[in-house]
Amino acid sequence: MKKLGLQSRTLAMLVVIIPLLALFIYVGLRSGPLAPVAVTVVSVESQPVTPALFGIGTVEARYTYKIGPTIAGRVKHLEVQVGELVKAGQVLGEMDPVDLDDRVRSQESAFRRAQAALRESIARQAYAKSQAHRYEKLFAVRSTSEETVTTKRQELQIAEAALSAAREDVARAQSDREGLVVQRNNLRLIAPADGVVAVRDADPGTTVVAGQAVVELIDPKSLWINVRFDQINASGLAEGLSAHITLRSRSDQVLQGKVFRVEPIADAVTEELLAKVVFDAVPQHLPPVGELAEVTVDLSPLPAAPVIPNAAIQREGGNVGVWQILDGDLRFSPVKLGASDLDGHVQIREGLKDGDKVVSYSEKALTLHSRIHVVDIIPGVSP
Amino acid sequence: MISLAGRDIMHAWGKFVFTGVGLGLLIGVTLSMAGIYRGMVDDAKVLLDNSRADLWVVQKDTLGPYAEPSSLYEDTWRSIRGMQGVATVANVTYLTMQVRKEARDVRAMIVGIAPGKATTPGWPPYLVAGRQITRSHYEAVADIATGFNLGDHLTIRRNHYKVVGLTRRMVSSGGDPMVFIPLKDAQEAQFLKDNDAIWQSRRRTEANPAFNRPGSPGLLDAVITSQSSNPYVNAALVRIETGYSAEDVAESIRRWKRLTVYTRSQMEQILVGKLIATSAKQIGMFLVILSIVSAAIVAFIIYTLTLGKIREIAVLKLIGTRNRTIAAMIVQQAIALGVIGFVVGKITATLFMAPIFPKYVLLEPLDSVRGFAIVILICVLSSAIAIRAALKVDPAEAIGG
Amino acid sequence: MNSKGIRIENLKKRYGSGDTAVYALKDVNMHVAPGEVVGLIGPSGSGKSTLLKCLGAVIDPTAGRMILGNEIIYDQGWKVRDLRALRRDKIGFVFQAPYLIPFLDVTDNVALLPMLAGVPNGEARAKALELLTALDVQHRAGAMPSQLSGGEQQRVAIARGLVNRPPVILADEPTAPLDSERAMAVIRILNDMARKFETAIIVVTHDEKIIPTFKRIYHIRDGVTHEEAGEGRKFE
Repeated sequence: MKKLGLQSRTLAMLVVIIPLLALFIYVGLRSGPLAPVAVTVVSVESQPVTPALFGIGTVEARYTYKIGPTIAGRVKHLEVQVGELVKAGQVLGEMDPVDLDDRVRSQESAFRRAQAALRESIARQAYAKSQAHRYEKLFAVRSTSEETVTTKRQELQIAEAALSAAREDVARAQSDREGLVVQRNNLRLIAPADGVVAVRDADPGTTVVAGQAVVELIDPKSLWINVRFDQINASGLAEGLSAHITLRSRSDQVLQGKVFRVEPIADAVTEELLAKVVFDAVPQHLPPVGELAEVTVDLSPLPAAPVIPNAAIQREGGNVGVWQILDGDLRFSPVKLGASDLDGHVQIREGLKDGDKVVSYSEKALTLHSRIHVVDIIPGVSP
Repeated sequence: MISLAGRDIMHAWGKFVFTGVGLGLLIGVTLSMAGIYRGMVDDAKVLLDNSRADLWVVQKDTLGPYAEPSSLYEDTWRSIRGMQGVATVANVTYLTMQVRKEARDVRAMIVGIAPGKATTPGWPPYLVAGRQITRSHYEAVADIATGFNLGDHLTIRRNHYKVVGLTRRMVSSGGDPMVFIPLKDAQEAQFLKDNDAIWQSRRRTEANPAFNRPGSPGLLDAVITSQSSNPYVNAALVRIETGYSAEDVAESIRRWKRLTVYTRSQMEQILVGKLIATSAKQIGMFLVILSIVSAAIVAFIIYTLTLGKIREIAVLKLIGTRNRTIAAMIVQQAIALGVIGFVVGKITATLFMAPIFPKYVLLEPLDSVRGFAIVILICVLSSAIAIRAALKVDPAEAIGG
Repeated sequence: MNSKGIRIENLKKRYGSGDTAVYALKDVNMHVAPGEVVGLIGPSGSGKSTLLKCLGAVIDPTAGRMILGNEIIYDQGWKVRDLRALRRDKIGFVFQAPYLIPFLDVTDNVALLPMLAGVPNGEARAKALELLTALDVQHRAGAMPSQLSGGEQQRVAIARGLVNRPPVILADEPTAPLDSERAMAVIRILNDMARKFETAIIVVTHDEKIIPTFKRIYHIRDGVTHEEAGEGRKFE
């Protein structure tokens, strides 16, 4: 019985001490720098990848009409408001003509006066012609003198010259008048094409300089996106490729389009390529010009090749490669990378084959001496 | 030979273990303190490791980019790229700010990483989930310590970013978790504060008659555009070609580009020697105080334990036990107490304190070994008082009267 | 017989010096033969304890002679260098309270001394068990002291005093806490042991119950011993 007392005490002590020691050893080996590094492993699998390019751009109108007067003046009236649809030839507004109408009327009178002078010249010429004709006949029967006939001929020539001068005068007066009318008409601001009023820069009464836009029209059918692609990620960008467009205001909606043009001039400062992407069908509600859009351009799919996730790519002493697991040991295998897609799949050109096991995620940076512990999911990551 | 200490401990092991656990909690705090210091140094080191650069090129005469603000033109890298011995150059920006996700916000260091692939300097060297950034805008890789998950949408300044990858132990020297975003977005985030600020800046420009002249339409737009772009980065990370010495390449950049360049060891010195020097001193102070307190407590416990056995010690001495045996008993008990305390301390520090402490706590095995030696040394030294008391006991006291 | 047991001649002990000097022991003469149990009786302050401490080599006498067995251990000064070893090997102690070591079981309490002297544990325990058997407490060999009755504890204490087979045992009021029956039992044991192991036993007591059992008694008064014959009554 007394033996038992001692034994139970020893037992109780062991019950406390052994777990404590076990915990201590566990703590010493399983946590901190000595602990094995948790890693996840993926198999290299051949699969085709569809590389894609990603860029952002702004919605722009391909045709923008800036309508304004050709001479400085004051806006008289402006009928259209921003957002209104206008037809080609529609009068949008007018500049104040000041004295232009009076000058047109004065030219009108000058024209009529010239016409009157013309009529007079015609009458004179007709009379001179008939006189000349009569004396020619009289001279033929020798009933008048040759001198008189010569005088009548000269009178006819003078009358004819006066007539053509009067005719030219009418034409001049007419051109003068027409010129003024054109000028008068030019004060009207007229839509050159169908479009939407995008900007109304001046209100009636505002004085504008020559060339300053009063109204800007855009052609809604000509909306496109000016996209910027980082140069380093833009290989393969070409005309005609299909593109997916996500407008910032409609992030749940993907619009279809295609690359219309790759600009021949890149942005040297921002190190970007520029391209224009057009919508296959312009959306019902027009996106506002200047809205941000994300554009994904699909390149042609590539044939199947060994693929790894881009998280597996590591750098070790100047080499790009992956941590490969060979018979449970860690080895760094240099690889040559091929095409990649936006989901992080990277094709391997050289260095790995199908079925190879590579480390995709690790709890900390790996070295050749790391002890590893393969898990399904790195601790701390919520599944 | 019989172990008196062992038998005494066995006899009252409950009390002994409880005392040891109490001491252990104190030792745990002390070990954690050392761990916090190591963690701070490690934060600084992983910051440098994770950038995977050999050289840091920063604004002239600054200690940037971590210890001081620094800015370079974003195209400076091109001229550095052409220097001999330079294998890769990548721009990088760092900005510590609050990152919002819905109602919650987290203090994080936003790292703008240059476009390229996963091995470009500045990119997170390893992930724990998801993938690296593939799009040149609006994607983010966040450290797991931010609490964000894959697929979350973060708000950084004016833009929303989708979390596509998670990292671990990617922290700033202050221990703030990192969020990696594409460089161009980061430059914008650094410069374009918020919509209100942009509006105000635009209005100010518009109000300036020099920029808003009726005779020159278009000038205002040009000015505003030039105002709202940011051509600066904080540093250029350089990786040198194998076969070149970092110091030589650094020297030639310093000389010909008139920029300040730091090598890895210089950077480490800046971070450890300057950035965390004050905190390190504070922690060192706490360590010393805690060690003294621990020593005092061990001494007191051992002394009390010995006083409780004073009659037995008198008997032992009377029946002829040598002083050495008695001293050994006390020292052994002190050491046993120290061992239990250390074991409990190590366990609590590792399992309880390190995970819940807001900063990273790195418990190095070598520190543990050193800590163990110090604990044992303290125990042995502080048992001296108790031994003195025990040796002063007069064996005659055992004989009554 | 003269050459065995313990002999004390003219032992003096002075506390203090000069004018304040007090003699606790003035002239002590005792002789206890092996196998003999003698009583040492005296009122409080008579110098009993001082004598016991001198005999136990924990305080130094001032003058006189002590002979243990064939060895002069004190003659105007200690003649042995290691008093601790002397106590351990030559003198057994039995106290008023048993003073067992609470964290050792009964066997180890008894075996402690040989163990500390370097005797292998097994051998020391065998020796202890032998003594415990002789004292009829072998059935409690594995118990802790706190589990024993007062009489059992005292027997274990006696076993401890005997374990090194010392030529002399000093017993300080060994029966004080016990009722008369158990006190008698203890005295009987002491007598048995004295005979069995040829040990000289000095029992310091003022327990009226047991005084009649001694064949010889030393009275001590004011630091001086007086020998007288006891009743030597049988204690059965």
